[in-house]
Amino acid sequence: MLAYVLRRLLYGVVTVLGVLLFLFILFFSVASPDNMARRAVGEKASPKVIENWKKEHGYDRPLWPWQDPKSNLLFDHFRKALTFEFGKSDADSAPIVERLKAGAGPSLTLTVPLFVLGVLIGVPLSLFVAFFRNTYIDRMGLVLCVVAMSVSILLYIVGAQFLIGKLLKWFPISGFDRSIAVIARFVAMPIVVGLAAELGAEIRLYRTVFVEETSRDYVRTARAKGCGEARVMGRHVLRNALIPVLTNVVIQIPFLFTGALLLESFFGIPGLGSVTVDAIQGNDFSTLRTMVYIGALLFVVAQILTDVSYALVDPRVRLE
Amino acid sequence: MTPVARRWTSALGTLAIGALASFSATCTNNPYPAADQGRKVLYTAFEEAPKTLDPQVSYTTVEHAFTGNIFDTPLEYHFLKRPYTLIPGMAKSIPVAEHLPDGKIRYRIEFLPELIYADDPCFELGGAGRKTRPMVAKDLEFAYMRVADPKVVSPFVDPMSNVLGFKEFIERLEARRKSDPSFVTKPAHEQYAAVGPIEGIVVVDDATLDLVLDHPYPQILYWLAFPFSTPVPWEAVAYYNGKDGHPLIQDHPVSTGPYTITHYDKQARIVLEVNKNWYGYRHPEWKLPATVYPSEGEPGDAEMGRLDAAYVGKPLPFVERLEYRREKEDIPRFNKFLQGYYDASGIVKESFDKVIANGQLTPEMAELGIRLEKTIEPAFYYLGFNMMDKTVGHGGGEKARLLRQAMSLCVDTKEWLRLFLNGRGVPAEYMIPSSIFGYEASYQNPYRKVDLDKARAVLVEAGYPGGIDPATGKPLRLTFDTGDTTVDGILRNQFFVDEWRQIGLDIRIDATNYNQFQEKLKKGAHQVYFWGWSADYPDPENFLFLLDTAQGRVKFGGPNDMNYSNPEYDRLFELMKARDNDDERMRLIRELRAITEHDAPMIDLMFNEAYSLRHQWVKNVKPFGMSTPMTKYRDVEPEIRDATRLAWNHPVMWPAYTLAILGIAVTVPGIVTFLRERQ
Repeated sequence: MLAYVLRRLLYGVVTVLGVLLFLFILFFSVASPDNMARRAVGEKASPKVIENWKKEHGYDRPLWPWQDPKSNLLFDHFRKALTFEFGKSDADSAPIVERLKAGAGPSLTLTVPLFVLGVLIGVPLSLFVAFFRNTYIDRMGLVLCVVAMSVSILLYIVGAQFLIGKLLKWFPISGFDRSIAVIARFVAMPIVVGLAAELGAEIRLYRTVFVEETSRDYVRTARAKGCGEARVMGRHVLRNALIPVLTNVVIQIPFLFTGALLLESFFGIPGLGSVTVDAIQGNDFSTLRTMVYIGALLFVVAQILTDVSYALVDPRVRLE
Repeated sequence: MTPVARRWTSALGTLAIGALASFSATCTNNPYPAADQGRKVLYTAFEEAPKTLDPQVSYTTVEHAFTGNIFDTPLEYHFLKRPYTLIPGMAKSIPVAEHLPDGKIRYRIEFLPELIYADDPCFELGGAGRKTRPMVAKDLEFAYMRVADPKVVSPFVDPMSNVLGFKEFIERLEARRKSDPSFVTKPAHEQYAAVGPIEGIVVVDDATLDLVLDHPYPQILYWLAFPFSTPVPWEAVAYYNGKDGHPLIQDHPVSTGPYTITHYDKQARIVLEVNKNWYGYRHPEWKLPATVYPSEGEPGDAEMGRLDAAYVGKPLPFVERLEYRREKEDIPRFNKFLQGYYDASGIVKESFDKVIANGQLTPEMAELGIRLEKTIEPAFYYLGFNMMDKTVGHGGGEKARLLRQAMSLCVDTKEWLRLFLNGRGVPAEYMIPSSIFGYEASYQNPYRKVDLDKARAVLVEAGYPGGIDPATGKPLRLTFDTGDTTVDGILRNQFFVDEWRQIGLDIRIDATNYNQFQEKLKKGAHQVYFWGWSADYPDPENFLFLLDTAQGRVKFGGPNDMNYSNPEYDRLFELMKARDNDDERMRLIRELRAITEHDAPMIDLMFNEAYSLRHQWVKNVKPFGMSTPMTKYRDVEPEIRDATRLAWNHPVMWPAYTLAILGIAVTVPGIVTFLRERQ
């Protein structure tokens, strides 16, 4: 197991370095340091001001090592990421760590309930439709799931804002308030939208796994022994179908921290997803690097944890 | 039904009824706390988070919406008068240019007495227990030194470089920092003191500061109305340095202005409240131009209710708190305005036809008590030709000049405005907008009236009969460069291309991303393009410099993206720039206009017309056109707002009840079947 984990960690390091290199190439192929400076200090800034900004932010150096092997932006990019020196935002010079701290709360306020409710509702509902397989309930569930999966999240967002916020007036159309007393009012609608957008796919996936599992020999044996259907589904089928469920659940965990880009943006939630969108729009390379780097690290770690958890929940799985 | 099933059904039913009851009792779409009701709060949305509120750095419209309310400046703009008129702010009067015996020019700023900063912990640096202190002239000198400091990266270095000794101060500061690396660790005020004062910024006494120039620069008065000309206490810069848990000065401005920041979460919510140390608040009896509601405006203001006797002469500000909430998307923002949760709004394009019909509010909107305000902004849009290009620019000589004139004769601005901006705009005959000196309503640019026959004739004269390039025997091919790759943008630009196709020209759109387009402009790799300029200050110089050689983009990095260069234009421009508004200046502007008309380096397109909406409970609104917020003149009637919001926002609960019943109707049989199976 240790050798396996180490090997996966090594792959992970290569993956993260690749992500960082790809980010650098992609970013600087669409934006130059001059563009970054202009976005930061204003379109009307004079060349002298642009040069000042570049000097103050370290962008007065060449991009590539072959232009200057001692001092270039590529090496600086890797050094800062690998030493976790997040530094200051290129857009407004604010410390990025502070931005992360401020954004983590709102993001988790949205993503954690969304994640927990997704599991709590998704798994039982899948069991429910699997239990009623080949009945009208199953077929109705299937149709609803396909419809839910086919609709773009943008339509859910705009539709919910129109229907729930504007017509029914149940919740504010958008906005956020950090006060505990009223926070639920602001995140209720994004959570409903997020659930509607993700549940269809999850129920479809889990149902397939559960239905497949119900045709196994041990299920027949359990029934032959006189176990009731609830016990068969809840104890035997659920436990043996945990691996694909776990994969799907654990892989979502990194995204709890990186926030929900569209939901945060449309509902005005000042979370980390919103920070990322702002960084892209504002040519803010330092912030973008931090967000992409953290996202990549968390993703790699989650992948390894998923693999390890296979072995924990299923003794048949051996990691070598 | 079995007893177990009954128990389950009963439990589920009770749970559903309890949840519904609690939901209907607490659900509301009001994003604000109930305690706000009845208070004079102005609710505004902001789309983009301000990058900095450091007065010496902040330059964007987004930031000006806040800094304009926080910072006091020596001069301000009159709320109602147009053309734009300066009034004294912190200064006792508007400085006048004094010609000194040595040929220099001096502007003396005399400050009002008893200008005091808002209470702030930073003042403890000046003495234990101190919460505030009076503003002194040295604070404005310190502010201008910050503009000069390359580490501050102020975009106002260029205009301030007109002040004597400004550039030398920068050189001294840079040299000292280079020679002594430990110098930079000292507080800014100590560094500035160590390298000596700026020659042209003279602190006469605590209430008087002189700005000395070696050449005429009347525009400096407008810069005195910019937030970067606000005095800054050295304590604020030393204290708010991002260390020891203190925020940066850019996130914690310290000011003497009418409002002060009490909550700054720029990603979500910003709150400004009345600064009780503001001189206008402490001395309403002074009745100064910048501290009371004006008694005169431009014709039509009285009819529009902007000179209401209930307000004229009353001390400012009227609103006690400014509440800004971030809304990144247009549609939610506009819907919240329609629910009464924002007091004012622009119009989203998706709803334009629902809101506006024939340039007026639709009856549906008017019934809601919504008011429409229109204003022609001092923002000029044009189609430019890169004069460095050999086909359309200087290198093409007379042939290129005639080609530009022919192309100008094809563009139907009115139709373009109708198709793409819902008619919101005024066709431009020349660069200067109507609210600025130099505008002449009677002027008609002979090349801005659509005349295809004349265009074809001019094209023949240019050597491109029927648009055919004799060198290739095919239609003359040009490139229209744009940084707008959206469908809307392509369609907008395709309109021009189609217009030029009518005279036989073959123009291709080259759409890149915005950054790449900027690179093209920087390198002079563009040919024909659409661009605009919005005024920093209301002076014709701020528009006419778009064709000044010294402002050329490629050579000097200035806003002359056309890279137009004409020595006679430059000579006349310098003369015009150095004069106050008078007949001679008008004559010079006419000469400049004639040169532009003849050379046609640009096709004057339009001035933007802004439409804004406000609710009936918002009073004293006059769109300013430039970015200065003017919020201290606004008032709200919270009683009307509260009642209207209540009437508009009753939650509709029957769908919740229906959903609950449906849910139970679907779930219960399932549970019953499930339990039956289990047994």
